[in-house]
Amino acid sequence: MTNIEKLTNLAVEVFLIDPSEFRRDLRRDEVGTWDSLGVVSLAVGVQETFGYHFTQDEALSVKSFADVIRILEQHGIPFDEP
Amino acid sequence: MSLNMAAYAVWAGTGAREAAWRRFPGPAVPGLEEIPHSAPGLVVLGGGRMMDEAKYFRARRRPQMGLVLVPSLWGSGAERSPIVVLNRDGAKYIETDTAFLPDAVIYWPELLRTISEERARHACGDVWSHVLEAFLSPLGTEELYGELAALMQQLLRLPLATDERWFEASACACELQSKASVGLIHGIAHVLELQIIAQYPESGWGHAKLCSVLLQPVMELNRRNSGKWVERAAQYGIDDEAVSALWGPLHEAEAYRQVLPLLKQNWPQILRDRCSRTNGTLIRPQAIQFFEEWQA
Repeated sequence: MTNIEKLTNLAVEVFLIDPSEFRRDLRRDEVGTWDSLGVVSLAVGVQETFGYHFTQDEALSVKSFADVIRILEQHGIPFDEP
Repeated sequence: MSLNMAAYAVWAGTGAREAAWRRFPGPAVPGLEEIPHSAPGLVVLGGGRMMDEAKYFRARRRPQMGLVLVPSLWGSGAERSPIVVLNRDGAKYIETDTAFLPDAVIYWPELLRTISEERARHACGDVWSHVLEAFLSPLGTEELYGELAALMQQLLRLPLATDERWFEASACACELQSKASVGLIHGIAHVLELQIIAQYPESGWGHAKLCSVLLQPVMELNRRNSGKWVERAAQYGIDDEAVSALWGPLHEAEAYRQVLPLLKQNWPQILRDRCSRTNGTLIRPQAIQFFEEWQA
């Protein structure tokens, strides 16, 4: 499974959205369940899925899945797989 | 007892009424709405639900009224918590405010005589669920996890039975968990409590029994999801095997069989519960299969 597929599954599991709704540029304000508790769940899910633990600043700075991808890529987790 | 407290109205749960009326001379009231306006304060002898109702009533309706809490059972830690969990419109309503804290708390060991072995065990499970869920909480700090680990070492020395030391331990557990969060055990308990009481009114169901019965399966789900429990326990010097060995005696297979259909039926709502969403490991929609297949 590629990392973008893992992130898609995570988005579905954390925010209870349909897989078809996921986009790399999907923003927090477009997802009703992405509230402050969603931020916590996402951080827990990222740690379990990718083995990276968001710092508090990173967790609070995330406004879209593009931000999640950017942070993970900065820590050596690639999303430009074929 | 101070002169003022002698005039406090007394609101007591069924099991504590006789003892309350012997000990507290103020006017007995059947409910919060019946407290005389002349009463300078209120003494509450009861469990978590009664204490939370009184805390909320005082803070929102009678802020000038004194409030003394006398817990009839440990477990909720409500007597020292700034959180209230209220039953409203068939659901749980949770609010946090330091105004909910009482003016004084009295621990009265005589009330322990009214507690059955089963209720005592459930109350122990309630305390353990507070501590373990807070210990795994993603909202805690290193300092808090250290305090929770120290508390766990104390709890390991207590029997899963009536013992007045549980009152203090329970209050500490509640104070510490209020600095982080609870998790799925409480998410399930909050969603199912009223339904299961309605369905099995004679089976002693309540928050504490739900927490006690669910502790083992939820902790085993957490263990399957992630290595967080094992790693954190090791980091803070907690004996994983000693703690895990307590989960079995708290579990009740027949009670779990009563819970399971409601758990499946309410799973979407449980996933959205605020406590479930701050669980130490991610609770995925398909985790319901774990509970369906799980056996003690």
